[in-house]
Amino acid sequence: MKKNVVHEILFYLVVIFISLMVLFPFLWMLSSSFKTQTDIIAWPPKLLFTPTLQNYEKVFGEQDFLKYFINSTVVGGLAVGLSLVLGLPAAYSISRFTQRRLALFILLARLMPGISFLMPWYIIFSRLDLMDTYVALVLSHMLIALPIVVWIMSAYFNSIPVELEESAMVDGATRQYAFWAIILPMSGPGIITSVTLSFIFSWNNFMFSQVLSMEKTKTLPIAVYNFVSYAEVDWGGVMAAAVAIMAPAIVLTMIFQKFVVKGLTMGAVKG
Amino acid sequence: MKKMLTSVVVLLSSLCLSAGAYAQTKEIRVLLANHPYGELLKSQIPEFEKQSGIKVNFESLQESQLTTKLTTEFATKSSSVDVFMTRPLQEGKMFNKNGWYEPLAKYDFSDYPKTVMGVAQAGGAPYLVPLVTEWQVLYYRKDLFKAAGLEVPKTFAELEAAAKKLNSDAVAGIASRGKGAAAVTQLSSYVYNYGGAYIDKGVAVFDKPAAIDAIRYYGKILGSYGPKGVTSMSWENIMPLFQAGKVAMWTDASVFYGQVVDPAKTQIPAADVGIANLPAGPKASSPFIVTSWGIAVANQSKNKEAALKFLDWASSKDLAIKGMLSNITMARTSVWKDPKVVAAVNPGLVATRDHAAEFGNPLDRPYMSAVGEARDQIGELIIESINTKGESAKLPEMAKAKAARVDELLKDAGEYGKP
Repeated sequence: MKKNVVHEILFYLVVIFISLMVLFPFLWMLSSSFKTQTDIIAWPPKLLFTPTLQNYEKVFGEQDFLKYFINSTVVGGLAVGLSLVLGLPAAYSISRFTQRRLALFILLARLMPGISFLMPWYIIFSRLDLMDTYVALVLSHMLIALPIVVWIMSAYFNSIPVELEESAMVDGATRQYAFWAIILPMSGPGIITSVTLSFIFSWNNFMFSQVLSMEKTKTLPIAVYNFVSYAEVDWGGVMAAAVAIMAPAIVLTMIFQKFVVKGLTMGAVKG
Repeated sequence: MKKMLTSVVVLLSSLCLSAGAYAQTKEIRVLLANHPYGELLKSQIPEFEKQSGIKVNFESLQESQLTTKLTTEFATKSSSVDVFMTRPLQEGKMFNKNGWYEPLAKYDFSDYPKTVMGVAQAGGAPYLVPLVTEWQVLYYRKDLFKAAGLEVPKTFAELEAAAKKLNSDAVAGIASRGKGAAAVTQLSSYVYNYGGAYIDKGVAVFDKPAAIDAIRYYGKILGSYGPKGVTSMSWENIMPLFQAGKVAMWTDASVFYGQVVDPAKTQIPAADVGIANLPAGPKASSPFIVTSWGIAVANQSKNKEAALKFLDWASSKDLAIKGMLSNITMARTSVWKDPKVVAAVNPGLVATRDHAAEFGNPLDRPYMSAVGEARDQIGELIIESINTKGESAKLPEMAKAKAARVDELLKDAGEYGKP
């Protein structure tokens, strides 16, 4: 009995310690986003201060972050949507016909440093007059989303017994129909996992948007730099923008957390 | 029938005419930096469009994003950029070598000091127009100096004595950048004042005794009287300390003056902040004065006429005066004598600028294509010196190795031994 209490206390101490380590930068950011520049740089740091909304006014008033929000959402949404359209059948085929080489090839695209794609992309997109369009950004972000969809989903399909489709096909269904009517409805958690992860990766992507977008299609991670000027950093603005950008990602993860963990470990034991 | 034919011809020709008129409304694409002068240009562009009939599509980018974007666009030869803001010391040499700047033979450069033009040309052929300059100054706390009964230091010996006297547990005597590569620009003026240089005639000379003495002095004052953890500090870390009143003296670029005295950003009263020349060293009083920003026309531009028109306007004296009045230290000499400017700008700023424009050195870093790696090499010497308070016995040997490495970099780029 006594041993249990000690265990319990130790357990919570460790939990508190780890949470503090993880949450501290986030809390710091959150509190700084409500501070004035003088309060942010004050030493020793001010724990009690008069909160101000001026940083958020800058983010949504002066800087038009709403536009960047829409850009990021459109790009991320379309890239993930198209990746599902192409990736789900591909993952199904990889899983059922054990196309290891194809799977590896798709993974290779993810393993190559993204910057090596930028030069050719830039040449192609500017010749086609597609610079600063959603088309260029969505296509480039599919490089992020597609491999995630394919890899998570092929592992997920592996965990669904083949017998299910086989019995459907014995009853006269085509493979396409079996995939559509039987496999997909069972794959909810896997699809949610891949959608959540690939959307967040696209949401956070800096490099592709930096080169391929201009004023019209600028995405959020680039827009944060609007607060970084030459020899001057508006820390309050940066923090408020960071909070605004992280909020959707955090909400998305919290809602789908259960599925994400399940989806990621699915097929892990089967190998 | 004939009548109808004529009317069709008239209609067609008038269509052609209007199409011709339409083609004449030119458009140019301009890349600006997130910089106060970029902001100023943005606010004035509608005025330019009205005057010239040229439509300006502009984008504003943070400086390293700007370099990445320009490099990608120019290197792939598919750029649509016509005019861009550029950092001569950071990318000028490389951009010029690649032929990315349009030569500016016809521009009138008579209003720019010689010290400023050094980085705007190669072999007498200018390729960019300097916009903004900055130079090394000493920021100091008038109230603390008064309380300690000190005069503003004029020599390095006095600077060290003042730092020692002002140093306490609560306030650091002196601060300057200590974070390796970032500190190289601020160390430069110390090296010049000791009679040294980073590179001379295309050869690394920062292992010579003059430069070593300067590195030792820099390490000694910062190691002994600098803030804690100074070897990981650049301006982003030191400015807040100064603004919070934790530093008595600070040597850095003049560009920070506006922020140091802005009541919305600082906790010390503006009246307590002084600005003076960097004290003289044993050999000279030659602070750096650099062209931090310039503006240029892209060699790949297909609208050069319109682009040059924009360049003339963006670097005009009228706009430079507007820049001065919003606390930007412009490169043109004449604007520093404009009565409106003289009335508005801090006399300390004017005095230090006059000194730097006359006696200063136009470079604050090893001026070469591989400037980033060269800065890393010199940065390691700075950290070693600060950590040992300037006493390190192996400093000369380290410097020799680092200089040899920088020579190699110069050779790789074909710049070795060339002035």
